[in-house]
Amino acid sequence: MSIQNTVPESAKTRELGTSRRQLRLPLPLLPFFLFVGFFLAWPISKVLIASFKDNNEKWTLSNYSPLFHGIYFHAFVTSIRIGLVTALLGAVIGGLFAYVIDAYAGPRLTSVLDSIAAVFANSGGVPLAFTFLASFGANAGLIKLLKSLGWDLYAEGFSIFSFIGICAVYTFFQAPLMVLVFKPALKGLRKEWKEANTSLGGSSWTYIRKIAIPILFPSFVGSFLLLFAGGFSAYATARALTVGNVPLIPLIIGDLINGNVISDKTHLGASLAIGAIVIAAFAMSGYIWAQRKSSQWRR
Amino acid sequence: MKINVSKYTTVGLVALLSLIIFVIPYSASLEYSLRGKFGKGHDFTNYLWIFHQDGFLSHLSLSLELGLLAGLLNLVLMVPTATFLHLSLQRYKPVVDFICILPLMIPVVSLAVGAEYSMPGFLQNSQFELVFFFVILALPFTFRVLDSSLSSIPLKTLVEASRSLGASWPATIVRVIVPAASGGISSAFFLSFALGIGEYTITSLLHWDTFTTWTVDVSQQNVLGSIALSTFSFLFAVILLIVIALVSSNRKKKQKELEEQS
Repeated sequence: MSIQNTVPESAKTRELGTSRRQLRLPLPLLPFFLFVGFFLAWPISKVLIASFKDNNEKWTLSNYSPLFHGIYFHAFVTSIRIGLVTALLGAVIGGLFAYVIDAYAGPRLTSVLDSIAAVFANSGGVPLAFTFLASFGANAGLIKLLKSLGWDLYAEGFSIFSFIGICAVYTFFQAPLMVLVFKPALKGLRKEWKEANTSLGGSSWTYIRKIAIPILFPSFVGSFLLLFAGGFSAYATARALTVGNVPLIPLIIGDLINGNVISDKTHLGASLAIGAIVIAAFAMSGYIWAQRKSSQWRR
Repeated sequence: MKINVSKYTTVGLVALLSLIIFVIPYSASLEYSLRGKFGKGHDFTNYLWIFHQDGFLSHLSLSLELGLLAGLLNLVLMVPTATFLHLSLQRYKPVVDFICILPLMIPVVSLAVGAEYSMPGFLQNSQFELVFFFVILALPFTFRVLDSSLSSIPLKTLVEASRSLGASWPATIVRVIVPAASGGISSAFFLSFALGIGEYTITSLLHWDTFTTWTVDVSQQNVLGSIALSTFSFLFAVILLIVIALVSSNRKKKQKELEEQS
């Protein structure tokens, strides 16, 4: 499940190939490259080309200008804010969960909790939205209970169809995802280091400050960025929850290509899609960098 | 003693946190889904409702079919690829690693836009186009799982033995590698199968109607029923995964015991 160790032993592998062999086509990998080429690279390059074309198929940059002002710019900002807030919440809460599971749970309980985390993390989407409606909708038992206790959330302006509501919902898949991606990093902390720290006279505070945090920091940042990319581009949950109250980039792109709006704006859909890729890719390159940084402590 | 106290406070704090964040909402949704007709009493009305909807079976079977195909295609494509990456083609591993992360970098919405622009007509007219995209979306997870399970077996020795005894490549993969790495291969299968069944974004953007999108449509008439459905699918998935996890950890234990005996 986890997405770890993006960095392979490239140094080791380089020695294996002679220059003559390097020229040969890797025939057994051809199906993979063809598949990924046709179903991933080809669609994305078509979007890229379309984003630079106008309605008369002429080259233009004009599709990109709406991205920098007005409603589309605002939607980008909102989506980025959602990504940042939910990734931060998810990373802190999920990191704490991961720490406790790693430190105190036995192997059996760990595998059970891992399974639960996997379900939570992947249930992002429609079921999650419904569950959330059940828990926090105006008619839900919890809200009624709080109301009878004198705390009327809705009177205070809370709504799940709002920025805060979406942040709350997303945290439900962000935190478990954090457990999944961050726990392997915790496993990388070796017992010997703790022992070495103790035998050299360090307190557990020194251990946390001088060993655990510096080693875990890259993984934490990497996981945060992964969560950000997920929160930024989440579509299903937002679709099922918001009825267009909160402008989010994935929803807007979906509307544009579904033709819910004026159809001559499909090229705008393409440029927005490219914009979304740029932001998510930016975060993910940070993730890859952080993985590389943290993998030097493994093994 | 001091350590024990701080241990219990940490665990207690996290337990409280998980209670607030996970247990309460999910019990609330369980309670909600059990409400009877017109919100009176508690019974299973909402759980039965979904079975009476038109298209329940046809959509469910379509989703199962697509998920199954995605799982199979994923194995057919990725098991040989991962195998060769571990054997003679190790220097391509960084490239494949990077490609397999791409689906996480590219927002699914953007990929859906691309699919609308680029797929040939015969594919766009067939619901099976979804299978290919499910495989793409599952790549980051399945490749990781396959990769780590193949590194945990003596792959090179197995392949050399099988090949020198005269087995062809396909026979080697199907009869030697698949049984040896069965754990990783089955979880790779289930990952893409589950992704295929639950996928919403690309399915709805490409205008197909699977169980997931159908659920959203029908739920607009009956919110209670849809909450019941998602609660059910949730519990089902959790229980299934826990059973799988426990069985496999049991098996590992037995294997260890056997190894220690011999």
